[in-house]
Amino acid sequence: MATSLEVRGVSLRFGGVRALTDVSFAINDGELFSIIGPNGAGKTSIVNCISGRYKPTEGQLFYQGRDITGLTPNARPKLGIGRTFQNLALFHHMSVLDNIMVGRHHLLKNNFLTGSLYWLTGARKEELEHRRKVEEIIDFLDLQSVRKATAGTLSYGLRKRVELARAMALEPRLILLDEPMAGMNFEEKEDMARYVVDLNEEFGMTVVMIEHDMGVVMDISHRVMVLDFGRKIAEGDPAAVLADPHVKRAYLGEEDEALVDPDDAPPAQESAA
Amino acid sequence: MMDYAARVAQADTYPKMLRLNAKEHGNEIALREKDLGLWRPFTWNDYQTRVRDFALGLIELGLGRGDVIGIIGDNRPDWVAAEVATHAIGGLSLGLYRDVLDEEASYLLNYGEAQLVFAEDEEQVDKLLALAERVPRLKHIIYSDPRGMRKYDDPRLMSAEKFAELGRARATREPNLYDKLVDATKGQDVAILCTTSGTTSHPKLAMLAAGRVLSHCATYLAFDPKGPDDEYVSVLPLPWIMEQVYVLGKGLLCRMKINFVEEPDTMMNDLREIAPTFVLFAPRVWESIAADVRAKVMDATPFKQRLFDIGMKSGLGALDQGKRSGLANAILFRALRDRLGFTRLRSAATGGAALGPDTFKFFQAMGVPLRTLYGQTELLGAYTLHPAGKVDPDTTGVPMADSVEIRIDNADVHGVGEIVVRHPNMFLGYYKNPEASVADIRDGWMLSGDAGYFNANRQLVVIDRIKDLAETARGERFSPQFIENKLKFSPYIAEAVVLGAGRDALAAMICIRYSIISKWAEKNRLSFTTYSDLASRPEVYKLLQREVETVNATLPPAQRISRFLLLYKELDADDGELTRTRKVRRGVINEKYAGIIDAIYRGAADIPVDTVIRFQDGTTQRVRTTLHVVDLGGRGPIAEAAE
Repeated sequence: MATSLEVRGVSLRFGGVRALTDVSFAINDGELFSIIGPNGAGKTSIVNCISGRYKPTEGQLFYQGRDITGLTPNARPKLGIGRTFQNLALFHHMSVLDNIMVGRHHLLKNNFLTGSLYWLTGARKEELEHRRKVEEIIDFLDLQSVRKATAGTLSYGLRKRVELARAMALEPRLILLDEPMAGMNFEEKEDMARYVVDLNEEFGMTVVMIEHDMGVVMDISHRVMVLDFGRKIAEGDPAAVLADPHVKRAYLGEEDEALVDPDDAPPAQESAA
Repeated sequence: MMDYAARVAQADTYPKMLRLNAKEHGNEIALREKDLGLWRPFTWNDYQTRVRDFALGLIELGLGRGDVIGIIGDNRPDWVAAEVATHAIGGLSLGLYRDVLDEEASYLLNYGEAQLVFAEDEEQVDKLLALAERVPRLKHIIYSDPRGMRKYDDPRLMSAEKFAELGRARATREPNLYDKLVDATKGQDVAILCTTSGTTSHPKLAMLAAGRVLSHCATYLAFDPKGPDDEYVSVLPLPWIMEQVYVLGKGLLCRMKINFVEEPDTMMNDLREIAPTFVLFAPRVWESIAADVRAKVMDATPFKQRLFDIGMKSGLGALDQGKRSGLANAILFRALRDRLGFTRLRSAATGGAALGPDTFKFFQAMGVPLRTLYGQTELLGAYTLHPAGKVDPDTTGVPMADSVEIRIDNADVHGVGEIVVRHPNMFLGYYKNPEASVADIRDGWMLSGDAGYFNANRQLVVIDRIKDLAETARGERFSPQFIENKLKFSPYIAEAVVLGAGRDALAAMICIRYSIISKWAEKNRLSFTTYSDLASRPEVYKLLQREVETVNATLPPAQRISRFLLLYKELDADDGELTRTRKVRRGVINEKYAGIIDAIYRGAADIPVDTVIRFQDGTTQRVRTTLHVVDLGGRGPIAEAAE
């Protein structure tokens, strides 16, 4: 399988704070890859490095074999990288339809000037084509009933879905989902998990997902990587990662003492403290 | 107006009628479906082609005469095409409700021995695949929406496109085959298996002949004319008899255009875009539309609220005099009709349960020609309807034609008895269940199991299921639930219990709606402390007396409430007084309030109460109060005793 994205020895420092330390991993084309870890482990930092919001202090990123470390964020959608945000970043006063149309922006040929000549420059035809794509996404994510609603008036779960729709409108080959299910109720999570799986299977997108809900992560991911204090502590298929003693200690807590290797258990004075 | 009976004589099955329509009106629009945000038309030619491909696809898969074919999914053109195609090969169509439970689906599919099911999408396919070994005869599942289907490799699955392709290939090889099949269909043959609402046991399957459905539609259309200019939006479940009648029967017969909404939750929006000329909604849908309007008005600017109030007042005032208010129309109703998609409405119906009189008036004032219909699956759905201009919210109208005969059997002294009906187009019995057919049909008359009577205007009033009726000591039947529901339409009444079984007259114990009455009390500067205190105020009694008298006016004298009191507490499911679905548990109440009930019937004017109420959090409170019994006059020993 071809490698979609490769992260090679990436470190990220903010002054004295080491957000990421020497993180390396590779994601294959067509994979559903999850990044998990406790709060502050550096999950969003790594996604921001991939999407270009942060430039790594050290290390390199390769997408489809090409070095993208120094590329600006707005150059990345053209390569086929899209993302959603942990905290919603929609245009609140625009309709759902317009919000999703924004995602098509980099694919539009007409600009501000030629677009004003609507019929002459083919802007009309172009808009129709893009509208069709947007409608397909609306159909896929079941957003029909809110198509014309103002984004700011929607419920949180729906806004999350609209954001996913906008990222999909970029037609990315690699999509980064930063906590797509945070703050959702059980039913909304179930729906979202289904969309993520369909995104991967039906649309063939490579998915990188950060998520806290372990049930969802373990159910739908092909591979999982675990970060703790900016370092990679495990990587592999969900079952193996779940069984990893480091992961148990770092992330899942130690409810089941018997399963923890005595050598890996924290020193006595620490647990007494 | 078109002679629809003659047209049925010309083409007495669905595929024949479809072929006739395609021949005469091939390029006119038959169906519309909203897809990717746009309304996409299907002409009669498109409809015919899809049905032909499906029918020949069925033949290719080895299905034929007498085979039962299941259909499940949202209302879509493919659903309808699948049914007509089934009829074209002489098969029996069995519609399943889209939210059917596993157990019921497997029961019905096994019972009908279905080998093939048309399933709309992944959701329905999942359901069928989950049944696995429970439906061993199921050999083919045809799905219309390919999304999410990639992961399955079940050999039974086939996409509707591939299936239609099979049929198309066969049509190229044998161009005359489809016509021959259609020619062989007979109107008197069983074509539709319609599930009847089984409340306790498994549903029964009523056998309907397509020719009879079409004839019944001709009768219906003669009473309530529709034509090719009419627009209908299909949102009721297609397996249900009324939607079968509208979408297939009437759609094919009078060529009214059938529109399928994008998704169930876009219904109100799509309805507005189409602006249908006819709608049928269940009472709760009408109630929720009215409630939505009121809720939105509360959020509007004070100016708009004022306009709404003036418009409603003037509109309702005019309605009481049998007129329409021009002012109300100009400032309110025109805009409201537009917002709701009712601008072109020429006919509107409700049925299945009672609709509150206030809601009824609200829509009538708005200019929505709302009427009530009544019927059963076995009798092909509706057979009584209000005649235009003679709408009475308390009745279900009159028989649609002379051929529809209605009898009241075992009537009591006031004419209340079981509704028994026959008409020439009724069902042919229950599928593979002759015992049930014998039990429900006597000498060609269908026992509806419903209790009702004809009022002074010869309009039918349906009361309740016959088994839920109670009888007074004088042998007069009444339905406690029917009267309780009428009482509960009042905003001031939360719950009511109607007494009278084995007694001389009817009485009611009423629980006030605290949230509303407390506001009313504040507005009227009436001080009170608790629920019990408020419920014992003479002012509140006076208010409630008016409400009870209003209800009494709509009831025949024998069913009127002659005495009532206001209970000191609300009925509560936690106390076992109500079921979890908020139905009155009569046994518990008769026992618990035996002292009070006896006192009411003794003719006491005041009943002292000293009891303990237990709240949900475990705390208790002693209640000492006196219940007043209001005597509304009337007749019988109660009135006499009170004098």
